[in-house]
Amino acid sequence: MQIYIIEAVLLVFLILITCAVIFCKDLLSAAVIYSGFSFTAVLLYFMMGSPDVAFTEAVIGTISTIFFVASLKKIDRWCK
Amino acid sequence: MREPFGGIVLSTAFRLLVPFSIIYGVYILCFGEYSPGGGFQAGALLAVGVLLSRMILGENARFNIDGKTSVVMAGVGTFLYTFVGWVTLFGGGLFLEYDFMPIKMEPMHEMHAMAIFIIEIGVTICVMMTIINLMDSIIKRGDDDGSIE
Amino acid sequence: MRGLVAVLLAVITGMFCSFVTYLPEIGDVNTAPNQHVTPTYISRSVEDTGSPNVVTGVIIDYRGFDTMWETSVMFLAGLTTVLLLTSNKVGRRPEEEPEDPEEGDVVK
Repeated sequence: MQIYIIEAVLLVFLILITCAVIFCKDLLSAAVIYSGFSFTAVLLYFMMGSPDVAFTEAVIGTISTIFFVASLKKIDRWCK
Repeated sequence: MREPFGGIVLSTAFRLLVPFSIIYGVYILCFGEYSPGGGFQAGALLAVGVLLSRMILGENARFNIDGKTSVVMAGVGTFLYTFVGWVTLFGGGLFLEYDFMPIKMEPMHEMHAMAIFIIEIGVTICVMMTIINLMDSIIKRGDDDGSIE
Repeated sequence: MRGLVAVLLAVITGMFCSFVTYLPEIGDVNTAPNQHVTPTYISRSVEDTGSPNVVTGVIIDYRGFDTMWETSVMFLAGLTTVLLLTSNKVGRRPEEEPEDPEEGDVVK
């Protein structure tokens, strides 16, 4: 099995984004960083040759970010 | 969403995005057989258009679909899928066997294409209305009584 | 205990990293899943289903029953979420603490 260099970079970047989402205290920043997660996943799906899944991931990443931000209007922004 | 939020720059930028999002959703729905895409993505894109217009203009948006209508329409979309199955069942075939659609077309795969298009319309309506539903219930969660009006 | 968990995780990670080199290449035609039913779908999809996109043909025509229940499951999930979020009883604070009526209905 071969992994290209850019794929390896994107996979490491996914792990870094996940750690940033977990340890971020600001929930609005966490929601925006999570959209970066979904766009990195879009690039990975394109490299694996499945544009259908990549398209779904892009649209659903956008909508889930809208949901997170909309529900942040009801709760506190900072996690304690 | 009761009142709009954001300044004039955000409102203008989002207002430009709404018609493109809706036109792209219809394109993805109609060309889902020929290119990447399909019912799920088309429904999500149309829902993005409706949500953006609701965010800009608040309650009195032109493209507004309230909670009760969206619940009913999600059920209608799911019904449209199974309705194709029932039609083929009454036409003499098995469930979802598209060779027995009531309208006869000469090459056999044209009937398959028509059934696929009807099914994608059903999936699109279901996904779009479900997403609008979720947004509506999240927005109205902390309000006075919380019931969908 | 934490050291034991760390050692166990390290061993499992090492096993994954060493075994991942034996996986086949992406898109290799000689592997098992690419030889069983995929050539049939690719060669007969256009004349069977009438859609040039093989993915749509497989999802809606060959596996239409799966997609029907998938749509039903998504509709039921959305309906359940709406029922839970819009009910007046579930998940709210009980009514018998009226010290702060302004924040009584804001979910924290």
